[in-house]
Amino acid sequence: MEIPYTVNARPDTGLWNAKVGVWLFLASEVMLFGGLFSSYIFLRLGADYNWPVGVLDAFWGCVNTLVLIASSVTIVMAWASLKMGKVMAYRIYLFITILCALGFMAIKTVEYKGKFEHFGVRLTDGTLLEGHFPKEGYRIEFEDVTKFTLELDGVYPESNPKDFLRDCTTPEAERKFLNAAGKEVILDEAGLNALRLEAKAQKKTSVELTSTKPLKFSIKRGAFGFIDPIYSYTAESIFFKDNTQTNGKLVKDSMTLEVDLADVRDCADAEKSLAWHYLGDEQKAKFIALRDEKLAAFKKSFGNKEDPYKSPHFKRHGLVLKVVGGAHAAAGHAKPEHGGAETDTTHAEHVASGHDHPSVVIEKKDITFWSNFTPKYNTYYAIYFALTSLHGLHVVAGALVLSYFLFFDGKLLRKDPEHMANRVEVGGLFWHFVDLVWIFLFPLLYLL
Amino acid sequence: MSAASHTHDHAHDHHEQSWIWKYIFSTDHKVIGIQYGLCGLVFLLFGFFLMMVMRWTIAYGGAPIPGYGFLHTLESIPYLGEFIRWRIERWAPGGVVSPELYNMFGDMHGTIMVFMGIVPLGFAAFGNYVMPLQIGTVDMAFPKLNAWSFWLFFLGGLMMLGSFLLPTGAAQTGWTNYSPLATTTNMIVKNTFMTGATWWLLAMVLVISSSLLGAVNFITTIINLRAKGMTWMRLPFFCWAMLVTGFLLLLAFPPLEVAAILQLFDRVFGSSFFLPSGLVDGTQHYDISGGGNPLLYQHLFWFLAHPEVYVLILPAFAIVTEVIPANARRPLWGYKAMVYSVLTLGFLSFIVWAHHMYLTGMGTMISTFFQFTTVLISVPSVILLTSMMITLWGGSIRFNPQMLFASAFLPMFGIGGLTGLPLAFNFIDLHLHDTYYVIGHFHYVVAPGTIFALFAGIYHWFPKMTGRKMSDFLGKLHFWPSLLCMNLIFGPMFWQGMAGFHRRWYDGGKYFEETTKDMLWTNELISFAAWGLALSQIPFIINLWLSIKGGEKVNSDNPWDCTTLEWTTPTPPPHGNFLTPPTAYRGPYEYNVPGDAEEFTPQWERPAGAPDVSPEPATHSHAH
Amino acid sequence: MADTPEQIAKHVKKYLFIGALLIVFTFITVGMSYVELAGPDGGQTNNILFGMAVATFKALLVALIFMHLNHERKIIYKFLVFTFAFVLGMFVLFILCHDNPLVMDAFERSKSALEHAHYHHS
Repeated sequence: MEIPYTVNARPDTGLWNAKVGVWLFLASEVMLFGGLFSSYIFLRLGADYNWPVGVLDAFWGCVNTLVLIASSVTIVMAWASLKMGKVMAYRIYLFITILCALGFMAIKTVEYKGKFEHFGVRLTDGTLLEGHFPKEGYRIEFEDVTKFTLELDGVYPESNPKDFLRDCTTPEAERKFLNAAGKEVILDEAGLNALRLEAKAQKKTSVELTSTKPLKFSIKRGAFGFIDPIYSYTAESIFFKDNTQTNGKLVKDSMTLEVDLADVRDCADAEKSLAWHYLGDEQKAKFIALRDEKLAAFKKSFGNKEDPYKSPHFKRHGLVLKVVGGAHAAAGHAKPEHGGAETDTTHAEHVASGHDHPSVVIEKKDITFWSNFTPKYNTYYAIYFALTSLHGLHVVAGALVLSYFLFFDGKLLRKDPEHMANRVEVGGLFWHFVDLVWIFLFPLLYLL
Repeated sequence: MSAASHTHDHAHDHHEQSWIWKYIFSTDHKVIGIQYGLCGLVFLLFGFFLMMVMRWTIAYGGAPIPGYGFLHTLESIPYLGEFIRWRIERWAPGGVVSPELYNMFGDMHGTIMVFMGIVPLGFAAFGNYVMPLQIGTVDMAFPKLNAWSFWLFFLGGLMMLGSFLLPTGAAQTGWTNYSPLATTTNMIVKNTFMTGATWWLLAMVLVISSSLLGAVNFITTIINLRAKGMTWMRLPFFCWAMLVTGFLLLLAFPPLEVAAILQLFDRVFGSSFFLPSGLVDGTQHYDISGGGNPLLYQHLFWFLAHPEVYVLILPAFAIVTEVIPANARRPLWGYKAMVYSVLTLGFLSFIVWAHHMYLTGMGTMISTFFQFTTVLISVPSVILLTSMMITLWGGSIRFNPQMLFASAFLPMFGIGGLTGLPLAFNFIDLHLHDTYYVIGHFHYVVAPGTIFALFAGIYHWFPKMTGRKMSDFLGKLHFWPSLLCMNLIFGPMFWQGMAGFHRRWYDGGKYFEETTKDMLWTNELISFAAWGLALSQIPFIINLWLSIKGGEKVNSDNPWDCTTLEWTTPTPPPHGNFLTPPTAYRGPYEYNVPGDAEEFTPQWERPAGAPDVSPEPATHSHAH
Repeated sequence: MADTPEQIAKHVKKYLFIGALLIVFTFITVGMSYVELAGPDGGQTNNILFGMAVATFKALLVALIFMHLNHERKIIYKFLVFTFAFVLGMFVLFILCHDNPLVMDAFERSKSALEHAHYHHS
């Protein structure tokens, strides 16, 4: 059984099967990215916050654009070379294309990593502070934790004390748990099963455990939603995501942040923003100088007719302060035990590499929302990650197909170069499409 | 990628294939078609079972399900007993269906019926089996891709079923999975990946990918693999409908894939695509950035889900347009008009989606636009239906089971379509939206509509697949009670809906006395009709299984005296289908053509004096 | 279709030229995004329009030359036309669903008036 028109074109349509197939597939890809781009439009038009513009590093975006354009040229050259019978040239061009794909993904990985390590905090007055966490991250600490309510057979029967005892700082040897009847419970598989049976016998869905000694907890808040162990907490209790509840006393609930940017666009009174409460008068003075300078420039361009506070451009440049300087002055900044001269060099390095940022301790009561620069941070980053990760998946898929052509299709290449050229054409069409999507992604996400 | 698909095939031709490659991991379109068909039927039955349990709760909320006592006696059996204790007791303590379970079943009934029952049966099963035969080719254009489509669908289906076993149970947020409800539900868990709502999304991504690959394959096959002489205007209407359905899947599914992926982001990475600012959970704000828009989800969802309605109904039209001319012994009336109607229908179906969203307050101008297009789309639908009714005119009709089902399809679909017209107007929709009226309307289209057509298709092509006919008597015993029960189920729903019965009442509305006090008995009537419908499927199941080995043998390759190319193959068709490559010499429906000597003239019959080989297929000027 | 080796050899120079053109336009896009086009919003709208116009031009170059859409078969054009019609329809209808010209205008005006008052107050 031979399927017709796999290599040669059908006379009336003028097409071989895979070519029809790939164009249909690309049509559906157009709809896929069309859906994503219309989501972008919808989110941007409806954004109830200041849509970030130019917050990504346009340099790397530009480099990636050039890489993809280059690969688009090389893949079409690979196809043309194969058509002209230059097999060696075909292989070299194909190889360069795959290298470009790898380079693209490598740059993307570095960009992603930088974003994941960068944090933003929204304060109660609308101020945004952005910066980095110290190494130990953001931790909350509880003391005097004695009571645990374990959900064992309720709606989510997956409570496992191991999951939250991980964050317990009291040494394991000193932990001892008693059940409601005052009997000691060992929290292993057998012990848990016994607890379940006990609960079932009493027709209860949860079990109460008491610790003989008050325990201490230091819980690292997850940077990604799905690895955060806590669902919610108050000053007296913790509610873990496995539905375990505890009592306790919240002793530390503040966040240390090395601030590199203060954004007061959504703050009703910029001069009274909490940012200056934390960053000090020096930064506030810098901010006022910056704002007044931009205001004057705006007045010069548009006179008094236009309201500068309606101009996203003015707000972006006049109400957002890049916070530099003061790293050495900020309290609590860890200084290595070195001689003075060395410390100065370290400081100088900090300044030179742009890491000279004040470290501040923000009280929880002032925070309404915080996140690293992941999809959680705002809808801009959400659509940025959705678009670029799906595009990245396409790059990887395309690179895999091209690698297959390069490394495993030698037999077909010798036997039927025309068929091989068809395949490269199909793979190339897909590759060009990936490039085409990036042509829109780059300005939309990096520049405009 | 797709070009790589056929290199393996010749290797298999020359030696005996092992059983597993021949029937399980086959790349033959007929085997894949039957695989889709069987899976689809099983899902259909399962989805129906969910609804029967729901109907019990609606009619007799608070009472234990009948048979619960029997289940209880099984508790001593290892594994099964554990399952009963672990799952059934959890969601239906004491045999009383909990609201959570009702919601799960409601969500899964819709999802399974639409995405795992009817689409695989109508488009994938019949399309796969019949379409390549009708256009006279050896297989699909990309056989391996075809197998991949099936296995992706199968995996998605398993995942959907598997979600019932998760600690949170299956998704509980309606088959539309609207945000923010679907995004914020089941979030107090250690791992949001292991929740019903997340699995629903993952399963949907698999099923959507499967449909996309399938659609690429179908369209390529129809465009590029038609037999000699099979010009566009000689293409059986079945294939036209499949072509349009393929395009609907190809272009409408990607936005749903986007919706599923973005909702997955919302659930797993905590983003706010569909979550507005200031969302509160009881006492505290959700830990989200906000700034998104629930309407965005609805737009993306309905951008697919409206064309999806036509994905459900066009395969039914496809089957009925084959069955009716063959059994009325009349040419299909207005073939060309039907082709252009179905193309128009396909086009318009992309720009009517927001009539599902009148209630969201998206704005008067846009509502007016969608109201206009929605009313417009009834024109091609009416042309299709009218053409088929006129086809019956003056025919000498054979009322075998397939014809009974096909002719019942016409009025049933008619009722479904006509009751949809009021819903197209947004001021009426404001009252009827989310009531049983909508349920009645939609189900008249797909249950006594599409499903009847699918039954017709099974009775019609069964002899080609197996070489045996299904029993006429059992077929009629299947048809008449089904017709009666279908109408008893969905007819009263219009009445309920206009009275204001909300479609998501778990107890049938007992606590809304003002609305329901004199009408609660309709709940019981509908429930009994639903169980009666279940009973009337028993003759079909018996018929299907017994006829495979024991049905009356057919003594020709063309037992119904049909005209399209699938009836010229050996019975059942071997791998590669045709003994000699077929040629189409004429249009597809030449039954009792005035002036012809023969009662019917098949497409493959060479006209007297015509050359042996017909000219190359003419230009494709009629595509679209 | 230009499928003979001789014809393809002629195209090679064209491919390289188009590649160079794409790079030039990339730099133009980047450069122009830093130029503040006229307008009280700091030219944001105009910048977006300009950037998208350049991107569309680049995309057309890729589609027409690299993907050979300048001489493709009829049937491919047919379904691509429908695809683009639906994508554009989606864009336009999504935007219209968002900004309803019949009602939202008044609402937007009152909202911006409020904002105005708010800023002057502060």
